[in-house]
Amino acid sequence: MARTTELTDLAERESLRSRLKIPLMLAPAVGIVVLLFGGGILVGLGQSLGYFPAIGLNEFTFEYYGSVLTDSNFLRSLWLTFRIAATATVLSSVLAVGFALVLRQKFAGSRLATFLFQIPLPVPHLVAASGIILLVTQSGLTARLAYALGIIDVPGDFPAMVFDEAGIAIILTFLWKEVPFVGLVVLAVLQSVGPQYEEQARTLGANGRQRFFNVLLPLIMPGIMSTSIIIFAFTFANYEIPLLLGTRFPSTLPVVAYRLYQDPDLALRPEAMAISIVLAIVALLLLIAYRRLARYAVR
Amino acid sequence: MTAVALSHLSKRFGNHLAVRDLNLEIESGEMVAFLGPSGCGKTTTLRMITGLIQPTSGDVLFDGESVVGIPTERRGAVMVFQKHLLFPTMNVAQNVGFGLKMAGVDKAETARRVTEMLELVELPDLESRKAHELSGGQQQRVALARALVVRPQVLLLDEPLANLDANLRITMRQLIRSIQHEMGITAIFVTHDQEEAVMLADRVALMFDGVVQQVGEPDTFYRRPSTTRVAQFFRNSNFLHGVRSGNVVSTPVGDIEVDPVQVADGSGDVILSVRPEEVKPVLAGSDAANTVPATVESVIYMGTHTQVVAKIGNSVWNVQTAAAFNPREGEEVLFELPKEHVWIVKDDSNSQPDAVKAS
Repeated sequence: MARTTELTDLAERESLRSRLKIPLMLAPAVGIVVLLFGGGILVGLGQSLGYFPAIGLNEFTFEYYGSVLTDSNFLRSLWLTFRIAATATVLSSVLAVGFALVLRQKFAGSRLATFLFQIPLPVPHLVAASGIILLVTQSGLTARLAYALGIIDVPGDFPAMVFDEAGIAIILTFLWKEVPFVGLVVLAVLQSVGPQYEEQARTLGANGRQRFFNVLLPLIMPGIMSTSIIIFAFTFANYEIPLLLGTRFPSTLPVVAYRLYQDPDLALRPEAMAISIVLAIVALLLLIAYRRLARYAVR
Repeated sequence: MTAVALSHLSKRFGNHLAVRDLNLEIESGEMVAFLGPSGCGKTTTLRMITGLIQPTSGDVLFDGESVVGIPTERRGAVMVFQKHLLFPTMNVAQNVGFGLKMAGVDKAETARRVTEMLELVELPDLESRKAHELSGGQQQRVALARALVVRPQVLLLDEPLANLDANLRITMRQLIRSIQHEMGITAIFVTHDQEEAVMLADRVALMFDGVVQQVGEPDTFYRRPSTTRVAQFFRNSNFLHGVRSGNVVSTPVGDIEVDPVQVADGSGDVILSVRPEEVKPVLAGSDAANTVPATVESVIYMGTHTQVVAKIGNSVWNVQTAAAFNPREGEEVLFELPKEHVWIVKDDSNSQPDAVKAS
């Protein structure tokens, strides 16, 4: 009897140890993330709520959120941010699917084409932005080419794409960077699926359009969904591209927040933090809504 | 239903001639099997009939009209593949109804026909399952239902049972056969399994190296193989060389009388063949005709019969005898080669697959 109890004890201790093993092994990494990331968020949240002892603010208040949310400029910036991110996400997904459909075919130079398609991937966003500036400003390459070809009378006639309110250059930069990203994911799915489902659909009487919408699209939809979520989150919160290529006013929310944050007047800091927190919450809500919607649509 | 004709059909992939000058007429409502080892061009032929690949030369005709210019989706030649290829994003009902949806059939009619077809393949009440929730046999039956529901002109089956286990294969064969009969559908299927071809098909077309070797009803491949290779593919490698004059073939082990039905090539060098199950052991001193002496090399008891490997002259023969026949190894025995089962085959054992040769 005593021996049985001993054995049970031993087994219990053993199972406790194996249950604790994984959390313990993860602890150092998780700890660092929680401290650095969570700590930063906590400080930011505190400041946005008016707790900023360094400049003598010690009382919690929603005042800053109130002033941010009622500011018409905030809404204008939010709309701009959303519009740019949504346009970049939708366009890059659509273009990427198109490219992937072409690149999956075997044609003369298809390997070279796939290689060229991937080139933007390792290029930093800042470099991409510089390239777009050189390409599409009113004194840029495209404008000069259009002028040389006599399409426009003076380079100044070239439509403003940089520092414009539509954010065309910003969207172009995002597209240049993100289309290959989505495209490669879609291409990988298409290649693993192979032509077999389409062949089956063909013999069952499905034409090209029907095969794409009924067979291929549902198969690649999960890939598009997950990459487009990443892209939306990234473009929605991106700071450097709209700063470089966007108008001074209105600016996207990350730019506004960063300007306030950098202001020598520390009293503006809580407002900057409030904008950042709102930005994060809006992004989160949009992503949740999108996931729900997409899952429903796939079904 | 539709009659299918293949006329001088050839397909070349680069230097490789996959199918060579294939001619075959398939009657409406007939079930024909393309049989052959892998790489013999049978699947290529099937894909040319569907239009998934274009022939290099020759023609495919449905009811006398060429369909080569008609795209796959408008040919009405529906294929069931070796893999079930059920669309993973759809449930069973959506899969079966796929072809009807593409054709714009209304929803009520689609639902009715899908239910009807699922009953026919003996899978009622599974409409809302996803493909991955079904067993292998169920998946292949759904694939079959999906093909049949559109009432195809021609049903094409590309080794549809190859991925199933032995028992399931047998029930599926019976199911396919009975449905094909019931619907009177013209069907062509591809298999490497001679047993399957024989069980399912009205006629078999045996292919080697892109060339049809022999076409006929299943039993002709057993009783009257055209060549040594055909005989071997149907598990008969009992050959004996001899010289023929009239109805008698003189062999190193004695004269063998052959059926006068075979008046084919007159006299000269020939090869005789008798199927393992038609060779009969006889007692010494028996008055049976057409007997040959043989030396037993091995004896394997198989339960229902005994498998004897014996040397007749210089050739090694397989003989399938009654289970009671139990000679010792090395024993000299006498086999009767019944006249009506002696068949003269053409020797093509040296014919090489000359894939690179241009036609």
